[in-house]
Formats: sequence, structure tokens, C-alpha cells
Amino acid sequence: MKDNTAFWTDIFSDPAKKERYIRYVNDWEEKIHSFLEFDPDRTLPFSTGKGELSGIPFAVKDNIAVESFHLTCGSRILENLRSPYTATAVKRLQLAGAVVVGKTNLDEFGMGSSNENSAFGPANNPWNVDLVPGGSSGGSAAAVAAGLVPFALGSDTGGSVRQPAAFCGIYGLKPTYGYVSRYGLVAYASSLEIIGVLAKEVSVMKRVFTCMRGMDPWDHSTVVPDESLDHSTVAPAGIREISPINATALRIGVLNEPMGLEPRVESGYKTSMEMVKQLGHSLVEVELPTLEYVVPAYYTIATAEASANLARYNGIRYGKRSETASNPEELVRATRSAGFGDEVKLRVLLGTYVLRSGFQDQYYVRAQKIRTAIRRDFDRIFSSVDVLLMPVYPTAAFSHGSDEMDPFQQKVADKFTGTANLAGVPAVSFPVSVESGVPVGMQLLAPMFGEEILFTLTSQLETLFSSPDCPGYSQDWG
Amino acid sequence: MEKKELHTTAELAMLELTQAEAERFGNAVSQILEYFDTMAAVDVENLEPTTHALAKENRLREDKPDIVEETLLDQHSRCFDLKDALLEQAPEVVDRFIIIPKVL
Repeated sequence: MKDNTAFWTDIFSDPAKKERYIRYVNDWEEKIHSFLEFDPDRTLPFSTGKGELSGIPFAVKDNIAVESFHLTCGSRILENLRSPYTATAVKRLQLAGAVVVGKTNLDEFGMGSSNENSAFGPANNPWNVDLVPGGSSGGSAAAVAAGLVPFALGSDTGGSVRQPAAFCGIYGLKPTYGYVSRYGLVAYASSLEIIGVLAKEVSVMKRVFTCMRGMDPWDHSTVVPDESLDHSTVAPAGIREISPINATALRIGVLNEPMGLEPRVESGYKTSMEMVKQLGHSLVEVELPTLEYVVPAYYTIATAEASANLARYNGIRYGKRSETASNPEELVRATRSAGFGDEVKLRVLLGTYVLRSGFQDQYYVRAQKIRTAIRRDFDRIFSSVDVLLMPVYPTAAFSHGSDEMDPFQQKVADKFTGTANLAGVPAVSFPVSVESGVPVGMQLLAPMFGEEILFTLTSQLETLFSSPDCPGYSQDWG
Repeated sequence: MEKKELHTTAELAMLELTQAEAERFGNAVSQILEYFDTMAAVDVENLEPTTHALAKENRLREDKPDIVEETLLDQHSRCFDLKDALLEQAPEVVDRFIIIPKVL
């Protein structure tokens, strides 16, 4: 397996190298704006510096808490918030020796697919700055693709790790729901989201996931597949290796129906099928009839949960408060109205509406029942195949402000990624080609706790096509 | 969506909408709700709602802030007494009270 982490491990012990590193990052940042905050030294005291990820720098999406850094969620309303504590997933990586170097750009509260909904300005795609990096973990994807960090954390509520990973030509893992603690992840849609990993190499993605997964007494929705991982400390869940399974002659499910893919993605899907056949696996056509209901069900549930989760931002205990109000209620209204961006307001309005008395059965409860139907579809599919191969998104990276991909079309396009969040199953996106200078990615979905098979298969695929270097990517500065 | 409905919803969501916003959001909300209505075609008879993909029961812990502390690695124990750190985040504090505009 490719593993380039040795390149990074002396960055904190070699001052000259660190200086060259900072210069490399600053040069890129003028073009891509992937970081909202960057300071490689600040969290050194919080890292053990020894362990599975000893001395390896990484970046964290700015909706995940890291003590001593801000926690803006890409929103004006939290512009001045500094996190007094660290998310469990991050803490485990620090205990394994890794070092947080900064917080990455994102769509406000994770709501978006282009990183254009960041209150602090969009991030750009390092392959071509006129293109979006994807979202909502756009900054994390751009930073990894440009070689600013070997890996970054993101959050995936409906595809927010996998889609930007595909847009930037890297790997993106959305773990099984509950397998990684959400403690310290700012809540958007609690029943759907999880912290995931973006990396340029499969081996790195796997090592990071192995260190950060596991039970957490601070997140009561955490689950693990077997008791040996059922520990109650924040220490890494056990560096107990995820053993590569004997993955020969797997049955790979594929969809054979019109899916509205743009030509580059359509041809990428065919390429990925050829790749798995070349590895000795067989293709099995499967049907996913609930696919067309994924997006309405997903957005009903996500906006409903968002309207409840974002009710806490009222400007009273923390965050940026409106200065003009003359009574508490006015204070809350003025703070929220000035502090939230358009997409957040839209989703809060939608979520409030679908939860209003009289509408719940029509929307929220129905969406949750459709969610059950989607899970049943997956149960059926995984009784006949080992993994499911699907597109990540109907398009490759699109232009900033694209007319074809307006905010509504961006939502409709979440159907391939949203399935995994509704069903709770793990999924990984991987690069398959570069078409006219733009990377194209596909994704593999596995049954609950099927991360092993995803790592094994993507590392096999990596021998045929590894993460392509974007123009300007370099490690010569080392 | 009717204007009145939108304003009631905004009221419940503690949001003030300018006229331009009301126009913009009214259209966007209607477009998405129409899309949500496609769910009506699904037969959901006999389907239980899914709220969590895996959890079977609620897990409880003692309502005590230090419950986890003793299980942490000594040299990296988290600061569980976040009271001061959290108060520091408040926009306006006098002594240990958070100041807000007059209620009455």
C-alpha cells in the first residue's frame, strides 16, 4: 500500500523544514482559501507526539471542536467563538501522536455542496480555482489535494466528505453511523452525520479511522461491532489492526438504470466497473428502487433536525450578539437574522415547517418510514453482493456560481451520497480518472461495519489508479 | 407557500425576514416542498419510522460531570470543569451573570 507519511514526521522537529512548509501552505492559500485558521504550533502541547500517527500534521473542518482554535462553523453567528474543549475523534488522533495544524473552510454549518455558503468566502478547487472544491468539507478536500496536509477530518451528513473528495481527486471515508464519536462535532442533522476522513492514500485513511473509531461515553449514539472495542476511555480504540480481508472474487453490485450522469461521470462509472473486473471481481446488476426518494426524505429529516439543533444559537451565552435589541426576544431574532446566511435560514424555515403541528405525518414521519424502506433495499442488496459501486455525484467539480448547479439542483444531486447516511452504512469515495483536467470519483458502499472490505477493495483499486496530483502539487519543499 | 404561512414559520423559527428575503425564501421553500410531496407516492403502510440506524435502546449515565474523568489517561485528562471557559464566551458578563436586555 502507498504510504507517504514518513515525509511529514520531522516537520515539527526540523525548523527549516517547517518554515518551508508554512511558505508552501501560504502560497497555496492565496489561491484556494482552504483554511480558516492555520497555526502549526498552537496545538503541539495537546499531542503526545508518539504513537501510530506520530508527528503527522492534519487539518480539521471548522465544525469540529479543537481546543485553542476557533469553532466558527463557517458562520457569522459563531465568528468569535473559541472552543474550550476538543472533540473525542480529534483527541484520539492527538493521543496517537498527530498534530492539528488548522481549521478548514466549509459551507455554513455543513449546509451545502460547493463551499460557496461559507460566511468567510468560498474555498477553491486546487485543480482549477474557477471550480468549486465541493462541499460541505470543501476546505478539507482542497487542503489534502494541494498537499497541505496528508489527511483532514470532515463531517458527512449527506455526502459532505465523499463529494468534495471526488471533486478534488482524493479518498473520502464516511464511516458506519455511530462508529466514530460525534462529541465535539457541531450538530446539524444528528441522526445522519458522522466525522469522516479525507486523504490522498488509502493506508492513511485506514490508519486514521482505526485510531479515532470506538465507543465514547460522551456520545451515547456510538456503536461498535464487537466488544473488544467497547472501552470507555478517550484513548484510541485500539490500534488493533483491521485485518485486510481475503478479498478475491468479490461480488460488486452496480446500477443499470438512467441516472442523469454527465458524460465524464458516466464514463468514470464504466471505468470503475472495468477496474473491479480487472481485479478479478464480478459485477452483479442490482436495483435500488428507493433511490428517487432519497433526496426528499433526506432533506426532510436533515432540515427538521437542523431547525431543532440550530435553535440554540440565540446570542445569549456565546457567539456574536446583535447590539440593537431592547428586549430578549428581539435580541434572539435580531442575532439569528443577522448571523445566519441564506442557505441556513432556508433550511431552518423548511425544517420548522415540516415539524409544525398538522404537517408532521405528511413530511417528517413519512420521511422516516421511507428511510426504513431504503434500509430494507440495502438489506436485500447486501444479501446478494459484497459491496455496491455507485457514482458519488452526477457531475464533476462545477464552476463557481454555476447556473446549471443552482442551490436546488445541488440538493437534487445528493441522491447517491444521501443513501448511505439514511441507511447508516459506510461508504468510501475514490478517484477513477481525470477528464480534461478535472478529477472524477466513484463510491463503494458496504454493509454496517463493512469498513474492512472498503479499505481492502480501495487499496486494490489504488494499484490501478492512485490519487492524481493536481497541477502545482509538490513535495519538493521537503 | 402563502405569505402568511411563511411568516408564521419564520416567527416560530425566530427569524425576521425582510421583504426581499420573504420573496426569495417563499419561492425556494415552495419549490422544495413541492419536491417533498413526491414522497406521497411511496407506500409506507406497515413501515416503522427509522430514527437511528443501529441503536436499540437509550443509554444512560449518571448526571455527574466527573463520571468519565477517572478513566482518562492521566497525562492527557480533559478539563471537565469548563464553567469558567464557557462563561468567557458570553458576550456580556458581570460577576458570574450573563447580561441580557431588560425582560420587563
